[in-house]
Amino acid sequence: MSKDLDFEPSAPKTIKKSTGTRIFEAISYLLLAAGSIICVLPFIIIVSGSFTDNSTILTQGYSLLPKNFTLSAYETIFKSPKDILQAYKMTIYYTVVGTGLGLMMITLTGYVISRKEFKYRNTVSFLIYFTSIFGGGMIPWYLMYANVLNLKGSTLAIWFPALMSPFLVILMRTFIVGAVPDAITESAKIDGAGHFTIFFKIVLPVLKPGLATVGLFLALGYWNDWYRSSMFSTNSSTWQLQFYLYDLLNATTAMKQMASNVSMKTADLPTESVKLAMAVVATGPVLLVYSFVQRFFVSGITVGAVKG
Amino acid sequence: MKKKVISLLLSLTMLTGIITGCGSNSSQSAADLLEEQGVTEIPQTDDASGEAEEEAPVEAKELDLSNQVDLVFYVMGDAPQDEEEVEAALNEKLLEKCNATVDMQFSTWTDFQQKYANEITAQSADLIYIANWLNYGQLASSGAFEELDEMLDTVAPELKRAVGETKLNMCKIDGKTYAVPNTWPEYVCNGVKYREDLRAKYNLPVPDSLENLEAYLLGIKENEPDQGLLTVTTEESQGFQTGFDAAWALNFKYPWVANNGLDYGLAANYDTPTEVYDYWYSDDFVDDMKMLKRWADEGFWSKSALSDTNNSDAYKNGLCVAEVAGQNPNKQITAIQDFENAGQGWESAYVAYGETNGVIYPGHATQNGTAIVRGCKDPERALLVLQTMLCDDEVNAIVQYGIKGKHYDVDNGIYKNLQEAAGETPTFPYEGFNTWNLRNGGSRIPQATDVKLQEMFDKYAELGLKTKFANVNIYDGFSENYDSYSAERSAVGNVMRQYLAPLEAGLVDDVDAAVEEFRSKMKDAGIDKVRDEYTKQWISYCEEYDYK
Repeated sequence: MSKDLDFEPSAPKTIKKSTGTRIFEAISYLLLAAGSIICVLPFIIIVSGSFTDNSTILTQGYSLLPKNFTLSAYETIFKSPKDILQAYKMTIYYTVVGTGLGLMMITLTGYVISRKEFKYRNTVSFLIYFTSIFGGGMIPWYLMYANVLNLKGSTLAIWFPALMSPFLVILMRTFIVGAVPDAITESAKIDGAGHFTIFFKIVLPVLKPGLATVGLFLALGYWNDWYRSSMFSTNSSTWQLQFYLYDLLNATTAMKQMASNVSMKTADLPTESVKLAMAVVATGPVLLVYSFVQRFFVSGITVGAVKG
Repeated sequence: MKKKVISLLLSLTMLTGIITGCGSNSSQSAADLLEEQGVTEIPQTDDASGEAEEEAPVEAKELDLSNQVDLVFYVMGDAPQDEEEVEAALNEKLLEKCNATVDMQFSTWTDFQQKYANEITAQSADLIYIANWLNYGQLASSGAFEELDEMLDTVAPELKRAVGETKLNMCKIDGKTYAVPNTWPEYVCNGVKYREDLRAKYNLPVPDSLENLEAYLLGIKENEPDQGLLTVTTEESQGFQTGFDAAWALNFKYPWVANNGLDYGLAANYDTPTEVYDYWYSDDFVDDMKMLKRWADEGFWSKSALSDTNNSDAYKNGLCVAEVAGQNPNKQITAIQDFENAGQGWESAYVAYGETNGVIYPGHATQNGTAIVRGCKDPERALLVLQTMLCDDEVNAIVQYGIKGKHYDVDNGIYKNLQEAAGETPTFPYEGFNTWNLRNGGSRIPQATDVKLQEMFDKYAELGLKTKFANVNIYDGFSENYDSYSAERSAVGNVMRQYLAPLEAGLVDDVDAAVEEFRSKMKDAGIDKVRDEYTKQWISYCEEYDYK
């Protein structure tokens, strides 16, 4: 509303706002500022901690600006950056392959169970729902991949299990039902188009917002996952980045605990500042990328929401 | 309407998924997890044929080594960087000696309890590391491992000799041997680590008893009012013995306040283990709580100690002057090194509780051992490989230290990591495969720091000889089966966190009243039932192993 008024040259901006609006704006700015500070502060503390001398962290705690500035934590990490780069490489690989294949399979499945001419669509949909209600549990799941499919130790075991999820298939089906009216596909059919032509030429182009949303879910899922590495990796060169970091933390705590029962050396464990520097190295690039592509994500979700 | 019902159902199931998902993340034991998944008995594969063969006369026999066997050896922790290279060197020797190869697989430290359980259910490993903290006892009695008794005689007599009857007996579950321990007696006796430099500076007594510990801490408080004294939290007290870490110091007074002593406020002296008596309802308990209250009032620990998280580096950084919980000789060695590195002239010393109370013993045999997983491709060959890895000095050295000349060298009988010496990150550190179960007491190459450690061990071994069961840890072999009282058990645990912890942390105004409240809450929680069952199990354990 106020945008329209702005075009009248005679009206100075300050007068148009009522007191109520101004109070409202002040409060919302304050709230937003507080919110963003809450989000940013921990990250600043991590960054500052990674530049702080380890004994300073332990004796004086964390601070907003690094006391006793040092680069030693980063020197320790980059003395052998091989591991962390390998973990990056693998995670990118899993994310790209998993998201690409997963998106294809989810979209195709979603399309099929959305078609009215598919007689058993309700049965198939139910079977897909069913897996989200009753799962076999962790051990059978593990045995399936490790013993039946024999995938333990292979990279397939890391991206394959997450290709499809009932939730995303249902989401995609809903998108398709909402975005593609029957009339369009019917008219294409009358014109002589087969299923593949209809799907690739007519359905897919209208589906872009849906693809963006499901793709985002998949990609974030792959990027943030560590569990499958934990379960199926037998070699650290196939580890996902998140698992690499998570295991680093776990190793430190586990070994300190173990040291009360078993004789073992605990002197060489990563120090506090090295852990923080690891976190910066691992999350920093993603953070940068995220801030650039974020607007696509946001528009993808909202467009999808309106249409769905 | 139908849709609504369905969506409600869906969200409910998702919610339970989330809740149970989180629940299983907590540190449950492997056996618990197995049970949760409905696996009460490990599937037995057709080993009938194997047993039939073994009925042959019990004599050492030559194994048929004509076909190569590839085994998987599952160990805890993270893999060393040079895993493949050392494995190749190891397999070269193993092929030569047993026509077998070993693939080391590592649990990593993430979710290791869960993964350990998976590994056993999936039967994908052949040889596996076992320990009491991985619930060896429960797993063995549910049939997770191969029985070794006969095989030890027929296939691996050398191994049997090296380990010895006593230690093998300690690994017996229901009369059968399922695991082979290492051959290095190791003392993990708890004690007090304190700052010798400060003690000498202010001429304070060595904290070798409750009175002297108090005097030592008071002396430091007087002379250096700003110095932190104890960093104690509830982190080392998550079991069923204590509620607050400072209570471990009572070990000076009672030998049974040890990591592996009895739970639920029960006590049994080392000399008379079958005579179980009560502590929480005794007068001693009230006196001890009053002493802890006095310590708290003196400001030995922070007022927020109950909610603090443990800062395990506090001692290292001079934030406290003594540690009383979860300490052991090896941690003392680490502290000495840390203080040397810090270069502030600090000095750490150690008093084991056992030195004062007279009861000292090495770690239990099941602390570090190896078992053969039921369903192993070739149990006999696996045992032969285990014998070679543990008893053959050449092979053992490769497993434990890597490749001589590349990873390590021996300098005057002392292990020296060559990469560390050159200022690089070691690609295969000492015991790089985390095979604590393959420590060979006879051929072990000590690290420089082990010299001091061995001195401590020798001192303890001498003291241990004077005890009734000379140098035998009678407590740790016991594994409790709490199926019949698990509800009461968790209620007891809650009462301990809620009432015992503040009592032991001295955060109550009136000790007598708080003790009364604690006692009555314990009764309500069903402590009697728990104690009855526990005592029964404990006594039958003592009888089984002849600890009388």
